[in-house]
Amino acid sequence: MNITSLSLTELKKLVHNKEIKAEEIVISYLEKIQEKEEKISAYITLLGEKALSEAKKIDTKKEKGVLAGVPIGLKDNLLTKDIRTTCASKILENFVPPYSATVVQKLKNEDAVIIGKTNLDEFAMGSSTENSGFFITRNPWDLKRVPGGSSGGSAAAVAVGEAAAALGSDTGGSIRQPAAFCGLVGLKPTYGRVSRYGLVAFASSLDQIGPLTNTAEDCALITQIISGHDVMDSTSSSLPVPDFEVEVKKGMKTIKAAYLCEEMLEGVDSEVEDIYYSTIRVLEDMGAELYEMKFPMWEYALACYYIVATSEASSNLARYDGVRYGFRHSLSKNINEMYKNTRTEGFGLEVKRRIILGTFALSSGYYDDYYVKAAKTRGLIRKELDEAFQKVDFILTPTTPEPAFLIGAKEDPIAMYLSDKFTVSANLAGIPAITVPVGLNKKNLPVGIQILGDVFQESLLFRLAFLLEKKVKFKKQN
Amino acid sequence: MKPKVDIDYVCGLANLRLSQKEKSLLIPQMEKIVKWVDKLEEIEIDVSRAEIYTPVTFLLPFRKDEVKVSLSTEEALANSPEKDASFMKVPKVIEEK
Repeated sequence: MNITSLSLTELKKLVHNKEIKAEEIVISYLEKIQEKEEKISAYITLLGEKALSEAKKIDTKKEKGVLAGVPIGLKDNLLTKDIRTTCASKILENFVPPYSATVVQKLKNEDAVIIGKTNLDEFAMGSSTENSGFFITRNPWDLKRVPGGSSGGSAAAVAVGEAAAALGSDTGGSIRQPAAFCGLVGLKPTYGRVSRYGLVAFASSLDQIGPLTNTAEDCALITQIISGHDVMDSTSSSLPVPDFEVEVKKGMKTIKAAYLCEEMLEGVDSEVEDIYYSTIRVLEDMGAELYEMKFPMWEYALACYYIVATSEASSNLARYDGVRYGFRHSLSKNINEMYKNTRTEGFGLEVKRRIILGTFALSSGYYDDYYVKAAKTRGLIRKELDEAFQKVDFILTPTTPEPAFLIGAKEDPIAMYLSDKFTVSANLAGIPAITVPVGLNKKNLPVGIQILGDVFQESLLFRLAFLLEKKVKFKKQN
Repeated sequence: MKPKVDIDYVCGLANLRLSQKEKSLLIPQMEKIVKWVDKLEEIEIDVSRAEIYTPVTFLLPFRKDEVKVSLSTEEALANSPEKDASFMKVPKVIEEK
């Protein structure tokens, strides 16, 4: 039995039928890490010994949690009590949090085993994981290519079998884009579905935590566990969480979906476009009611996103001043010098670029023209989506304009920002969106389709993702 | 034409300092990025009337104002780069003339 190629649902069944021990699962994953990690570099911190001792403890328990012994990778911007959390930044290189994120606690309550903290673009700012302050991560499908970002370490770890599932965070596509680049399912839940307590803030009105998994069923299972109201996050919703594990398999009588008109696919790689349209045809064969649609406001979504996200980031990252935690420049003669030197040395170039853009957008004389305009444009983007959801349950787009690109290929920041072309609207509007792998291009690189749904309609997304997965039969790498 | 982003002024607001090398890279990039986001000018929107959008579409519940156990002083200080007894220590705040 090849343990590292089993899905979460299969592992769960084996553990609960006592056919396999948590310890055996963890050992298999650690062996895989031993074999692959040198080439992939998915993890900033590996927790081998700790994971093993936790697995042994779980094996002695009479009543085991739903995820007993399942090794999970956590993006290193999710706080883990007593385990270093760096955000892939030199400014937090030695930061050891005094508490855990709510999502981490929820996974642990179900006896999941945290196997390591995964690499990311510094403070989740990027689309390739090349902006990590420590090292780059490679795409398991082609080591010359990026795994996507910012949750690139999480995506690479799951794709290569170094974790059974992983959590990432998604501010503008940071779960969906790497999931698509690595042939995985990835969900950005509705804003408020999952508590953000203990997620290091990048842009608080856009950030959501979500899973990167091998299958739609696994994605539903993890979402089920991490969702729900949290008193520690006042923006988390108290709406009841449906039983996603049951929902995912419910099937659908009617599928009403919108797909993008050709004009909106301008600049999209031709093979990605072909795979996108062939997936639409698969849905057509399944009897779906399909509507071609145009979303004129999406043309402004990226500009809107980069103003809102960087403005919020410039404010959120003001806390890194070398006083309470993190790196401090030690030779400053007064406190103002210390703030400046600490931030100058601690932050990488992309983080500085975004802080500068955000500070500019919020500065006197520009605030109304940039920040306020962008914040109000968000409402128009949401309105346009609301109108579409009157008619359809889903909007289908390519997840990314192209498959995984070569390491070092995008030095121009705007070229990199364009990677988020199809993903940012979901964050701006606060709606859920899932990516499902639906094909390989001629270079054997995965291509994903993105399914957007109305607020709190994750169940529908899982159901369609599950059906689509069964139809397209995407072949995993390992 | 005078560049729109006064990089030294903005860096001052953000408590950042850029090397000459970083400046020569970032100044043209910022101009390009700002020009790119200027696309928003095309949208006709009554800024004074339209509302700032928030993704929170549900009621924000308040929790009861109860005193609960929180981080101990020791835990809160554990990551501080420099400390003295129960205080975080920082370089001189008041400058000499």
